Amino acid sequence: MSQAESGIVVDHGQSKWSDLWTKEDYLAIWLGFLIIAVSLVAYFGFGPKAEFAERIAKAEQLQSAEAAKAPFKTIAWYKAEDDKKKLKGTDSPFGKFVSSWTKHPGSWSSNPLDALIRSEAQAKAKNDKAMPAYEEAKAKAAAAFGAATAAEEAAMAANFKDEAANGQAKAKIAEWRAAEKSASAAKSKTTNKPYNYIPTLIGLCLFFIVIFGAGMTLMKKSFFEFAKGFFIVFLVAVLAYMLGNQAICKQYGFGAEAWGILLGMIIANSIGTPKWVLPACQVEFFIKTGLVLLGAEVLFGKIMAIGIPGIFVAWVVTPVVLVCTFIFGQKVLKMPSKTLNIVVSADMSVCGTSAAIATAAACRAKKEELTLSIGLSLVFTAIMMIIMPAFIKAVGIPEILGGAWMGGTIDSTGAVAAAGAFLGEKALYVAATIKMIQNVMIGVTAFCVALYWCLVVEKEADQKRTVGAGEIWHRFPKFVLGFLAASILFSILDSNLGKGMANSLLDGGVVKGGTKLMRDWFFTLSFAAIGLSTNFRELAKYFKGGKPVILYVCGQSFNLALTLGMAYVMFYLVFPEITAKI
Amino acid sequence: MITARQRWFRFSASLAGGLFFFCLVLPLLTRSVPILHRMAQHLEETGIDPSRYYYTDVVQVKESEGYLSEALGEQ
Repeated sequence: MSQAESGIVVDHGQSKWSDLWTKEDYLAIWLGFLIIAVSLVAYFGFGPKAEFAERIAKAEQLQSAEAAKAPFKTIAWYKAEDDKKKLKGTDSPFGKFVSSWTKHPGSWSSNPLDALIRSEAQAKAKNDKAMPAYEEAKAKAAAAFGAATAAEEAAMAANFKDEAANGQAKAKIAEWRAAEKSASAAKSKTTNKPYNYIPTLIGLCLFFIVIFGAGMTLMKKSFFEFAKGFFIVFLVAVLAYMLGNQAICKQYGFGAEAWGILLGMIIANSIGTPKWVLPACQVEFFIKTGLVLLGAEVLFGKIMAIGIPGIFVAWVVTPVVLVCTFIFGQKVLKMPSKTLNIVVSADMSVCGTSAAIATAAACRAKKEELTLSIGLSLVFTAIMMIIMPAFIKAVGIPEILGGAWMGGTIDSTGAVAAAGAFLGEKALYVAATIKMIQNVMIGVTAFCVALYWCLVVEKEADQKRTVGAGEIWHRFPKFVLGFLAASILFSILDSNLGKGMANSLLDGGVVKGGTKLMRDWFFTLSFAAIGLSTNFRELAKYFKGGKPVILYVCGQSFNLALTLGMAYVMFYLVFPEITAKI
Repeated sequence: MITARQRWFRFSASLAGGLFFFCLVLPLLTRSVPILHRMAQHLEETGIDPSRYYYTDVVQVKESEGYLSEALGEQ
């Protein structure tokens, strides 16, 4: 990310064929797609596709038979559904291999070493401690299952024609499902295993040196200089994971990415980042590769998850807020930096950190601007996550409206889920789904921002020259095309594979057991690199006059008002039948 | 001109300050303020991680999608 002193990057170069193997944007695309290709081949070519297909078909056949038999979802229907959900690509040998070699430091509360090492004795102690609660939950689930079975048999005895019996069976089955969910959650706390992440972390560091070092060599930079410094960047990322997974830090949304920046900045502005580390602070290379992989998780089919109300709340309100906030920042606040303005606007209106990363890369914002934007998002997200559910309860806003409101306004998905859960189950479901639909906007946002910057902003800065299509192509951040291509590919695969296979092998294999694991690391590395190469004084310059805070507050206030209004209109006036079904 | 000793002091003080806030002040605040304490317990029970920023990182999104898919009759 770079800016000339005038504030806008104006790149007057010409595209060459050699750019395909020497320019960072293209290398990020090739590296990202190499990881995607390996994951797709491993799971679909050599994975348990045939076995999964057979088991999914069997389960779906059973579910069709049950659906034809009864006017409600029977116990057998749910058991078939559970069988489908158990099928995960990550349980295959390749999945286990990738998962174990990409493990990052885990959760801890009082002993930081728990993040890296857990002995057999410690694992057994944790399991033994959680066992009584699991036994209790399991007994409750068994009792609920007995009641559900009896109720379903009573309904079946009346040939499913007795409305009261059907209603009773449906209610008892719902209670059984809730008890099963609690038992499953309790069980997961009794299956702790011993681990030692140190050897795999060393191996992973070497692997990253090879793949990114190869890219550095192609960009005609020194592999050795990069490798030497990368150990420190990786170490800061590991420490960031450790600090970010501390229970209290997680609770307030202060994860690995935030700690990467903070830790890196503490080092850079106190003892100073050694000069030999700076060649490894390849912020843009890590971020662009991470974004191409993030494309695999941007599935356009998700936007219909909650019907048309969801599209209006997430895809109509969001661009309106984004554009209005940007214009407000330019015309009223007179923000000195357009790139800071658009990054803060996207961060606040779309979905926080991930939108900030994509937008900053698309408009070539400075790393200090990305840092500032993410910092603002983290602080306000923590506040909103606590205050919004309390406010909604206090004034008596209905759960579904409250959930839609929080989903469309709180920045990060984890915080949205937390806030939704504090309010109630239905609020959680609506909030999380609205946020998911907003997350999918990232691709479109990055593309539109990149296009706007090339066609309008850079043209305004370069008034003396007319700009042809060739130069626009040269200026356009190519990695955005890689990001979109990955998104389109996975959206097509997701819609054509069938729900069962898409969940088990695409999402549950290629993404969760491949692209997402790498993406997570690449973003953490990039934030560690940002921190290590950020000067406090440079950062403080962007804070002058408090304009970024004012921009965020004003934009978020508008977002809150518009989202609440739109959610009310859509869920209660235009589509009340959808709300009634939830 | 800042000496090496002063640099290391700054580093230690900044790190200590950050750790003090997150490992002592914030946990104390969380335990003392009822709403924050309830939140902490709820997050512990549900396993929700507020620090995750994308929907594929949050397990509850999949559950939510599944619930809504059933409720809106798309299965």
